[in-house]
Amino acid sequence: MRRLSLAITVLLVPLVALFAVRRPATVAKRPAERELAVGQVLGAAPEAGFLRAGAPRTFRFPADHGPHPGYRNEWWYFTGNLADAGGRRFGYQLTFFRVALTPKPPQRASQWAASEIYMAHFALTDVAGRRFRCAERFSRAALGLAGAGGNPLTVRLEDWSATETSPHPWAVRLSALDGDTAIDLDLRSLTPEVLNGEGGLSRKGSRPGDASYYYSVPRLATGGTVRVGGQTYRVAGSSWLDREWSTSALEPGQVGWDWFALQLDDGRDLMFYRLRRSDGSTDPHSGGTLVAADGKAQPLRLEDVQLESTRWWKSQKSGARYPTNWRLRVPSRGVELEISPRLDDQELAGSFRYWEGAVAVRGLNGSPSGAGYLELTGYPPPQIRRP
Amino acid sequence: MMLGRAALRNVLRHPWLTALAVVGVALGVAVVSAVDLANAAATRAFLLAAETVAGRATHQVVGGPAGLPEELYRTIRIDRHFRACAPVVTGHLQLVAPSGSTTFQLIGVDPFAEPPVRSFSSQFRQQGVLTPLMTRPGAVLMLRQTAAGLKIRVGDRVAAEVAGRRRELSVAGFLEPPDEVAKVGLASLLVADVATAQELFGSPGRLSRIDLVLPEGSDGERQLAELRSALPPGVTVVPAGARAGALDRMTRSFRLNLTALSLLALVVGMFLIYNTMTFSVIRRRRLIGLLRAVGVTRREIFTQVMSEALLIGTAGTVIGLGCGILLGAELTRLVTRTINDLYFVMEVRNAPLLPAALAKGCLLGVLATLAAACPAALEATSAPPRAVLSRSLIEERRRRRVPLACLGGFLLMSLGAAFFSYPAGGIVGGFAGLFAVIIGYAATIPAVLLGASRLLRPAMRRLFGVIGGMSARGVAVSLSRTGVATAAMVVAVSAGIGVSIMVGGFRLTVQHWLENWLQADVYVRSADNGGGRYRPPLDPALVERLSRLPEAGGYTLSRRVRVEGEGGPMEVFSVSVPRESFLRYPFKAGSPAAAVDSFQRGDSVLISEPYAYRNHLRPGDRVTLPTDRGRRAFPVSGIIYDYGSDTGIVIMSRSCYLQNYRDRAVDGMSFYARPQVTPARLAAALRRRGGSAAISVILNAELKSATMTVFDRTFAITGVLRMLTTVVAFVGILSALMAMQVERARELAVLRAVGLTPGQLWGVVCGETALIGVVAGLLALPLGIVEALVLVYVINLRSFGWTMQFSVAPAYLLQAVLLSVVAALLAGVYPSIAMARTSPADALKEEE
Repeated sequence: MRRLSLAITVLLVPLVALFAVRRPATVAKRPAERELAVGQVLGAAPEAGFLRAGAPRTFRFPADHGPHPGYRNEWWYFTGNLADAGGRRFGYQLTFFRVALTPKPPQRASQWAASEIYMAHFALTDVAGRRFRCAERFSRAALGLAGAGGNPLTVRLEDWSATETSPHPWAVRLSALDGDTAIDLDLRSLTPEVLNGEGGLSRKGSRPGDASYYYSVPRLATGGTVRVGGQTYRVAGSSWLDREWSTSALEPGQVGWDWFALQLDDGRDLMFYRLRRSDGSTDPHSGGTLVAADGKAQPLRLEDVQLESTRWWKSQKSGARYPTNWRLRVPSRGVELEISPRLDDQELAGSFRYWEGAVAVRGLNGSPSGAGYLELTGYPPPQIRRP
Repeated sequence: MMLGRAALRNVLRHPWLTALAVVGVALGVAVVSAVDLANAAATRAFLLAAETVAGRATHQVVGGPAGLPEELYRTIRIDRHFRACAPVVTGHLQLVAPSGSTTFQLIGVDPFAEPPVRSFSSQFRQQGVLTPLMTRPGAVLMLRQTAAGLKIRVGDRVAAEVAGRRRELSVAGFLEPPDEVAKVGLASLLVADVATAQELFGSPGRLSRIDLVLPEGSDGERQLAELRSALPPGVTVVPAGARAGALDRMTRSFRLNLTALSLLALVVGMFLIYNTMTFSVIRRRRLIGLLRAVGVTRREIFTQVMSEALLIGTAGTVIGLGCGILLGAELTRLVTRTINDLYFVMEVRNAPLLPAALAKGCLLGVLATLAAACPAALEATSAPPRAVLSRSLIEERRRRRVPLACLGGFLLMSLGAAFFSYPAGGIVGGFAGLFAVIIGYAATIPAVLLGASRLLRPAMRRLFGVIGGMSARGVAVSLSRTGVATAAMVVAVSAGIGVSIMVGGFRLTVQHWLENWLQADVYVRSADNGGGRYRPPLDPALVERLSRLPEAGGYTLSRRVRVEGEGGPMEVFSVSVPRESFLRYPFKAGSPAAAVDSFQRGDSVLISEPYAYRNHLRPGDRVTLPTDRGRRAFPVSGIIYDYGSDTGIVIMSRSCYLQNYRDRAVDGMSFYARPQVTPARLAAALRRRGGSAAISVILNAELKSATMTVFDRTFAITGVLRMLTTVVAFVGILSALMAMQVERARELAVLRAVGLTPGQLWGVVCGETALIGVVAGLLALPLGIVEALVLVYVINLRSFGWTMQFSVAPAYLLQAVLLSVVAALLAGVYPSIAMARTSPADALKEEE
């Protein structure tokens, strides 16, 4: 659900990204405009004709790994922590967003005609090299430039792709390349799909229909190569997949979120998001899931979790400050974690600015340690802080 | 200070003369700056549009006439991982409004591929522009100012003519240009999604080009080489600037010619100034002598005369610039239309006030005035102190100088002739020679006048008695005045003659050419002419249907396309022509009979005369064309006359075209009527069979007259310039002769005093001016004919590569002589009336 806003901005981001490249003077202004616009879009009712996530549904895999046309937004969100044989650590993120412009594909003569657009983000963190590379792409779902197919899954944007290689256990190959940075990874799921929220229906707000379908594959064994700075490393590690589709809108007043996807050494996986409201409070729709080593999932409610930021990092590029270090406790489940970034600067400076990066997880007071990914959004640079 | 006031007083004392001189300068400056403004506005508009549309693209991938297959874009972008590229589908359409239709270039782009290439910045403050742009058929973006001008708002539906069809567009939003320069470039541009553009232009599956942004240096070269290796045959990469440069080159000759014609008007204007200033000095020789005697230096005298000239020049320049701006807007329209007819489609929304053009006009006006006044000022300083040079002495000195001037004139004319025999001099050399001949000729005029006066005196005396004799003698006696006035008239009148003969001959040539070139009875083409010279293809089913018409005894299929070569675009015309029609083609070199077989087989091509001239080709040489099968060299089997394009065309048989280009489209058909079928019946049958298709069915005669209409339209601007030059000439004659007679006031008063009646005085004055008018008119004839010869055989050939017939229509000559005589008589009226009204006693009083 955290990525809903991000995906919806896809509707607006291209408009800014399209044409604003040569105008540095407006860069500082842009996020504010965008957020304003996001608020407008989120407040607005989606175009009639799209399907809504209103009631629980039956998920079928591997078919549901494929796209769900009819819903306005959908994404495939891969993140992972990797290391080579010598212990050199890497983090990666490869995400594909599908955004439908109209509920039904148009009947038109040109092959370029499209009713869907795709956005993708690719980031690689080279911890030892203290390097963070990120890239962003847009394309229309036409002419083989971008698109997704169902059983078996393929989702691609130009030469970035995720392609299913096996249905049982479910396996997928990720491939992305940008300049001197590339990944070529094989992922194999170690756990069954975990349905978040109420059996996969994740409520966004108080209004009916303001919800999404949301599942995760929290642990995928990962192997392959990463390339950065002209060198290729053979790596292995663990990935996490988040999948969500919806037509709903966020409530006004939600300004950002802090999202944690943590894989613990005792085999448990923890996902938690804290939605922040404009008045600084935490939104009651915040929540998460704790997955036991045997794959059994239990929802986490806001009151189950104690969350405290312990350090802020200021971006030299944007001036934005992000809470990159945390203490997270789930007292009822014996979880007490100290979360710190593998690298401070993992800020994605695309048309949508946010911090998303690999984090180290240290267990305190007998809690297991681990690794994971942290996402921080809605931390604007100081000059455009809301009044 | 005192001298300055004296200058002002002198200028104001003869308001009529001053006014005419000012008008002369003003007209010259107006014409020059208007032409300059029009040229600059047109150039600016198409260069800016080309630049803005090209954006940061360094190279373009271009293909044959039908463009590129769209899959190539995917190959480059995904398989070759070359992401700094953007697909473009572009063409022209006309927005139809109740007030008339406006031509726009529509560029279809993929918004997501655009950021590296273009920044038609848009903030899209209103939400949801991208969605309609991409999903609504016919959705376009346009400049806010353009929309406001057409009274279109966002969301409005607008009718458009695209490729002969009526389509509906909707305005999805506004383009917001990053700066003022881009705003000019975007004024005639519509931006649409690439899908929309393909659908509008009926070219699904094809791209016009792919824009590339390559880095500079060896990195870029390497990427370019890699890309080239990935391209299929017939597809090339060309530098992005090449096209705009080629467009600029294409129209350069045309614009240069306009500038030169406008300079002609200024030269005539300069003669006026020269005339006015010379008179002013001669008239005041006594005063100047006095001033010198009381200690005024030569330098001060020089300054005074020059400041008088500056006063006139400045006033004329200011007025001229004002008129130039007004005239410029009209000329811009004419220039744009000619460029559309002859070269490529463009639209100039408004004629901006370009400071450079105005500054140039300003400088030119003032400098020309000062240059023209210089001889007079030098003459003034040569007066010795208190030397009351008698009039006869001045005239004597003048007459002594006549042979010298005459010799100089001949030298100048030979220099001009040398320019003509030096082809490397180009257009500029041609015009330099022309001006040298004109000025040289003018310098010999006093000598001719002297001779003419002597020759004519007995005749005049016999015809008009004593008065007639006096008139004839007067011309010779006051040579200092009559010589200049006559020269000014000759230059002015001859310019009109030269241009008239040139245009007339050209027109006749084109008419003859059309007789040979257009042989079929009826022509069919798409009704859409938004693409200028290039028509959209006809529906293949329609072509099929029409080709089986029983009334037709034969038909041809043709296609005119522009192929993008490395040196810019070139025009290829392909036609399936019957043997007997081919044999009647107007060949300039080579013979139809020898060429026909290899042409029909596709083993050789024909080239037009301008193409041969520009590329120095003869029959037997080869032309290399980019084809869909790569670059191919074709032997040239003949050069034919063609006046349709001054950049030149390559003509090939349709079978040759089909072998080399993957484009089966036909954009023109022509039909020969069966015996016993009249062309009108054939046309009616074609119209019936054409049904509702948007085609135009034109009879041979109609097409010829339509072509001549385009020709006349093309030369409308020349006509305007000729007219303006004639007006300057008229003013010149008027002012020159009036100045002369006003200056003679005292002399005429003496005549009155010794008993001449006012009627007889009229006779003397008008006889003299009429004589000058006739002489000037006659003297202008040879110069005008020489000018026409130079325009036809030097300037036109060097500019456009056309040879044309030379025919002197007596009407033009008669017109010119009439013009000078009428102007001359009119010029005599005012001084005669003034003299008749004044009592001789008053007039006899000392003027100073």
